[in-house]
Amino acid sequence: MLKKTHAPQMIGLVLVIFFALFPFVYSANDYPYIMHIFITGFFYAILASSWSMLAGYAGQFSFGHMGFMGIGAYTAALVSHYFYMSPVPTNFCTEFAIGDSYLIILNPIGVTSSTLAQDCLKQAMEVWNGSVEVTPIPVWLSITLGTLMGGIFGLLVGALVLPLRAAYLALFTLGFSEILRAVISAEIAITRGQAGIELRYMFEDGITLFGRRFEQTDKLPAYFVMFFLLLLCLGILALLARSKFGLFVRALREDQDAAAALGVNTTRYKVMVFVITSMMAAGAGAAMAHYVGIVSPNNIVILQMSLVVAMAVIGGVENFVAAAIGAILLEFMLEMLRSSFVIGPIEVDMTTWRLVVFGVLLMLTLRFSPKGLLMPIIEYFTRGHIAKETVAKRDEPKMGDASRTESSQ
Amino acid sequence: MEFPVIFWGVFAWMISWGVVGSVVTRRVYLNKDLDTSNAGMVGSMLGASTGPVGLILLWIKTPPITSRMMLFPSLAAVGVFMVAFAIADPNNLCVVNGSFVASQISNGLIIGIIYGFMALGLTLIFSILGVVSFAHGEFYMIGGMITYFVTTVWFPGINPMIGIGIACIATFAIGATFERLFLTPMYSGKIGRPVEYGILITFGLAFTLQYFVQALVGANPVKAKRFFDFPRIRLPDAADPWLIKTSRGNLELFDTISISNPRFTAAIMCILVFIALMYFLRRTWTGKALRAVSQDREAAAIAGINPDRMNMLAFALGSMIAALAGAMLVQAFSWLPQVGAIPAMRSFVIVVLGGLGSIPGAFLGGVIVGLVEAAGTGCIPDAQQAASYIPAYGMFVLILTLLLRPTGLLGRRFSSATHGKF
Amino acid sequence: MKKTLFSVAGFAAVLAVSVSATAVLAAECPIKIGGLAPLSAPGAVGGGEAMRDAMLFAERDINAAGGVLGCDVKVVIADTEGLPEKASAVMEKLITQDGVVAVGGGYHSSVGVAAKDVSNARKIPTVFAETWNDTITGDKQKFIFRIAPLSSWASATLWKAALRVPGIKKVAIVTENTDYGIPAAAETKKGLASGGVEAEIFGVDIGMQDFSGIVERVKAGKPDYIIVLNTGEAGYNFAQQAADAGIGPQDIPFQAGQVALESKAWWENVPDGNMAFVQRIGTPVATWNAKAKKLNEDYKAKTGKDAIESYALEAYDSISILAQAINEAKSTDGEKIVTALENISHDGTLGRIYFPYGSKKDPSVDGKGDEWWHQWPDPAMTMIQYQKENQNSTDAPIIWPDAYKSGDAIYVK
Repeated sequence: MLKKTHAPQMIGLVLVIFFALFPFVYSANDYPYIMHIFITGFFYAILASSWSMLAGYAGQFSFGHMGFMGIGAYTAALVSHYFYMSPVPTNFCTEFAIGDSYLIILNPIGVTSSTLAQDCLKQAMEVWNGSVEVTPIPVWLSITLGTLMGGIFGLLVGALVLPLRAAYLALFTLGFSEILRAVISAEIAITRGQAGIELRYMFEDGITLFGRRFEQTDKLPAYFVMFFLLLLCLGILALLARSKFGLFVRALREDQDAAAALGVNTTRYKVMVFVITSMMAAGAGAAMAHYVGIVSPNNIVILQMSLVVAMAVIGGVENFVAAAIGAILLEFMLEMLRSSFVIGPIEVDMTTWRLVVFGVLLMLTLRFSPKGLLMPIIEYFTRGHIAKETVAKRDEPKMGDASRTESSQ
Repeated sequence: MEFPVIFWGVFAWMISWGVVGSVVTRRVYLNKDLDTSNAGMVGSMLGASTGPVGLILLWIKTPPITSRMMLFPSLAAVGVFMVAFAIADPNNLCVVNGSFVASQISNGLIIGIIYGFMALGLTLIFSILGVVSFAHGEFYMIGGMITYFVTTVWFPGINPMIGIGIACIATFAIGATFERLFLTPMYSGKIGRPVEYGILITFGLAFTLQYFVQALVGANPVKAKRFFDFPRIRLPDAADPWLIKTSRGNLELFDTISISNPRFTAAIMCILVFIALMYFLRRTWTGKALRAVSQDREAAAIAGINPDRMNMLAFALGSMIAALAGAMLVQAFSWLPQVGAIPAMRSFVIVVLGGLGSIPGAFLGGVIVGLVEAAGTGCIPDAQQAASYIPAYGMFVLILTLLLRPTGLLGRRFSSATHGKF
Repeated sequence: MKKTLFSVAGFAAVLAVSVSATAVLAAECPIKIGGLAPLSAPGAVGGGEAMRDAMLFAERDINAAGGVLGCDVKVVIADTEGLPEKASAVMEKLITQDGVVAVGGGYHSSVGVAAKDVSNARKIPTVFAETWNDTITGDKQKFIFRIAPLSSWASATLWKAALRVPGIKKVAIVTENTDYGIPAAAETKKGLASGGVEAEIFGVDIGMQDFSGIVERVKAGKPDYIIVLNTGEAGYNFAQQAADAGIGPQDIPFQAGQVALESKAWWENVPDGNMAFVQRIGTPVATWNAKAKKLNEDYKAKTGKDAIESYALEAYDSISILAQAINEAKSTDGEKIVTALENISHDGTLGRIYFPYGSKKDPSVDGKGDEWWHQWPDPAMTMIQYQKENQNSTDAPIIWPDAYKSGDAIYVK
C-alpha cells in the first residue's frame, strides 16, 4: 500500500492533521503559551517558506523579507489605528462621505505620556455621549491592504534591484529594511516609534465557533487563522513550483544567461517571484500584528531576519515545506532553550547562549549539509518531483557544464 | 524652512528632468549605436543640473562619454540643489554659519576616512573571494572589544599599541581559521552557488560572533581610555592661538574647527595603515600576487600563485582591517556587542558607492558618505528628526548609486566567474 | 487509500493526545511571582540584570522571613527583550505556563503598556517598578499598580531644576526617539516655556554611536543648559562627545541621562563627565532605612557595583509589596490581592509605599488626573551633581529639591 515515495506526503498529512487536532486534544494548563508558540511558529513558517522560495528556488538572496513583513504589519496597524466608519460626521476629524456613512481619518497625536491628549474621534465621542457607534475597519480588510502594500513595495524594490546580481541584492535589501526601521522609528507622530502602535485584536469582540464562545484573548481562533494562512501559502508555493512558472524560476537560478538566451524574460520572472513572496511576508506580518495587538519597529531589525534565514537554511532552503517545518521546530526550540543550567561551577545562562547555539548550528548546516537538516530526510524517501531536475543536473555534470564548474573556481 | 515651495519645486524639477534625461539619453545613444553604459548617468545628471537646455544639446551632439562628462554635471547638480536649499531656507545654520559648516565638513571628512578605511577591508575581501563579508561589522566590534580588554581590564597601563596589535593578530587568526573551515568549499565547485553560500555563511558568522561576545562579556557599555594625549600647542603665539590650539583631548583649528583627540588619532592611524597597505599591495611579492589573483585567477595560478592561499590572506587581512578600525574607535565610542551593525551597513554603502573591489573607491566613498551624513545631520531643518535619519542617509546614496551607476564611482569588472557579473 | 487515511488520522490523534498527557499541573507551593526584566537586546540589558538581581534578593529575604501563606515564594524572571510585542507573550507565559499569582518588575514603558492589558484581562495583580509612561496607570485598570514615578511628574523635576540655572535663556534637549524620551522632552519644553525659557529638541535614534554632527548642531545653537534624555550607552556617548567638542559638563551646565547614575560605568565611559547633573529616584543614601542599606550591601557584594541603582530598589519593592499583599489577602486570588494592595502600607526600601487612589477613591475626587490611579504618590525625585572626579553617585550632593538638599549646585560657565 504505502509506497516509499509516498512517505513524505503521508508525513505531511500526519502533520496537518496533528496541527488541526492539537488545539482540541491538548489541555495542560500552559495551553495558551504552547498555542502562542505554535502561532508564532506558523508565522515564522510562512516567512521561512516564502523566503526559501525566493532564495532557494529563485536564487534571490534578499535580506529584506522582514522589511516586507513590517510593511504589511504597519499598513494593517495604521489602517486599523487611524480609520473608522461612522454613520454621522464627527466635525472634528478629516472625513469623507461614502454612501450613507463617513470614512473618518483620525488625527495622529503621537506619543504622549499624559492621558489628557485626545484624538478627534474621542472628542467627538464625548460630544455624542454614546449616541453614535463607529465601526472600525474590519480585520480581514486591513490584512488584505497590508498584503497588497507588501506587493506594491515588492514591485518597486524588485524592479529597482533585481536586474543586479546576488551581492548587490543582498546589500540593498538589507539597507531597505534599515531605512524602513529608521523611518518608522523617526516618524513618531504617526507610527508612535519605539513605543509601538496598537491595533485591534484579530477577534476584538470575541467570536462564536460551532456553538463555543471564544474571547479576544483565546488562542484557538488565531491559531487556525495562522494555520490556514500557512497552508494557503504552502499551497500557492506548491502550485508555483510545479507550474511552468516554477520551471522558469528554477532555470533562472541554475543559469541566468542560458535562461535569458532561451527567451525567458529573466527580470520579469524574478520580479514576479519577488512580489509574490513579499506579499506572503506582508500578509503574515499583518495577521501577526492583529494577533499580537501591537507592532514596533524592532521586528525589522537584522536579528529577526537572521532568525528567518537560519530557520529556512536549517530546515532546507531548497524546499519550502522543509523550511516551514524547520521554522516551527526551531521556534519551539528557541522558546524551550530559555532556562539556564549549571555545569560544575559555571552557570550557563541559556537566554544568551541559545542564540550562539543557533548561529553555530546555522553555520555547520550550511557547511556540511547545505540542503538543510530536514531536506535530506525528505529526499531519502523521494527523488521527488520538486527538486528532480536540480538533483539530476548537479549529480552528473554534462559536457556543457564543465566550463561552468571550472570557471567558478 | 521658510520657502518650502522653492525647495520642493526645484527638487521636483531636478528629479523629473533627471528621469527624462536618463531614459531618453540611453535611447538616443542606443539609436546611434554608441556605448550606452554610462549614458543614463550623464543624461540624468545633465538633466538635473541644466534642465532641457543641456539635454537637447547632448542629444544633438551625442559626444562619446568621458569621465569628465560624468563629473561636471554631477557637481553642477549638487550645486543647484544646494543653491535651492540656501534660497529656500535662508536662516538655516548651514547657510548662515560658516564655522558650523566648516566643523561639520571636518567631522564628516574625519569619520569618513575611518569608515572608508573599514570599508577597504570589505572591498579587499570582495576583490579576491568575490564574497561580501556580512561579518565585517562583527570584526569591527571584536577589534574594539579585545583592545579594551587588553588595555583596560587585563593589563591596565599597557601601551595601547600592544592592545591594538593583539586585536589585529587575534582577528587575523579568526578570519584565517574561518576561511579555512567554512569558505574552502566555495572554490572546489562542490557548492552549487558559491556567491550565495558566501553571503549566508558570513551572515551566520556575524550572528554567532555577536551573540558569542554578548554571552561572554555581557551588555554593559565599556570604553577604553584615550590612547595618546595631544602635546600642548599654541600657534602662532600663546596669547592669540588662532591657527592651532590643543588641549589634551582636543584640537582646535582657526578657532572654529574642533577635532577630538580619539577621532584625530584614529584617522591618522587609518591613513598610515592605508599607506602601508598600498605599499604592501604594490611593492611586495605577496601583495602583487593578491592583486594578480583579483584580476585573473587562472592566469595567476599559471604564474605560480596559489589562489587558495591568497583567499585566506585576503579574508584574514580584510577582517583585520575592520578590527583595526574598531580598535582605534573604542577610545571614542562606548562599546557593546551590537556596535558592529551600523558601521557594517555604512561599509556596504561605501563599497557599492566606490565600486565593489576598488580600493581607492572605498576611500573616496567613505569620504562622500561621511560628508552626506554630516550634511543631513547638520542641515535638515527639523532638529528633532535630523539625527534620527542618520542610518537612512547612506541608504539614499546607495539607491542613487544603484540607479545611476551600479558599478560604483571607480568600479571595474572582474574577469573570474565567482565575482558575479554585475 | 481510505484505510491509510484513517490510520494516518489515528496516528496524528494519538500523537496529539500523548503530547498533552506529558504536561503536568502546577503545584500549590511554592507561590510564584513573576518578575519582568529586559535581559536581551534590544532591551536595556544592564538595567534588566540589575532588576533581576534585586528581585532575586527580594525572593531570598521574603523566604528568610517565613515566606508567604506558609509557602516559599519563587520569583520567576521573564525576559521581555524590551519589545512591546514580546511583552504580552511573556506575560502570557508567566501566567499560564508558570502559574504566577502576581507580577512585579518591568523596565521599558512600551513593555509595560503592552503587558498590562494581558495581566489585567487575566486578573493577575501587577506592580510595575520602573515604567514611567503615564498611560500605564492612566487607563485605570483594576489589577495594575505602579511604584515608579509618573513621567509627567518626573519631567517637572527636569525643568524646575533647569529654571534655577542662573541666566538661563536657551536649553537644548537631546532625546532618544522612544516613548520615554519624546513625551518627556515635550513636557520639559512646555515647562521651560512656562518659565520663559526657549528649548530646542534634538531626537536621535537609539543605538547611535557617532554624535559629532548633532553635537555641532547643539553647539551652534549656543545653549545655556543641556538636558540629555538618552538611556543606554547613547547617554555616555553623547556626554563624552559633547565634552570633546567643548560643550560637556565642565563647559556648560549639563544634565546627563539616567545611565550616569551607574558611577563606575559613567567614569569609564565619560572621563570628562565631572559637574554633570543627574536625575535620581529615591531619597538620599544618608536617609535610607535599614532595609535599603542592607540590600545595598548585599547587592554591592554580589555585583561588584558601587551602589544599588534606584530601579533595582524599585524592583525589590515591587516583589516584596506583592508578598505582603498576598499575606494580608490570605489568598492568592487576584481580586483579594488587589483589595489588599489598595489598603496596603508597605515599608519598602524606598520608604512607605501605599496607593491612595483606586476603586475606593477616584483620583478625580482630589482633582487629580487618571494617571494617579493605583500610583504611589511619594517616590522622591532629586537632582544630584557629580562634583569630584570618580565620585560615587550615592555620595554626590543632592542639589534639588530643597527638602533633600545636601550641597549647593556648581554652575560652570
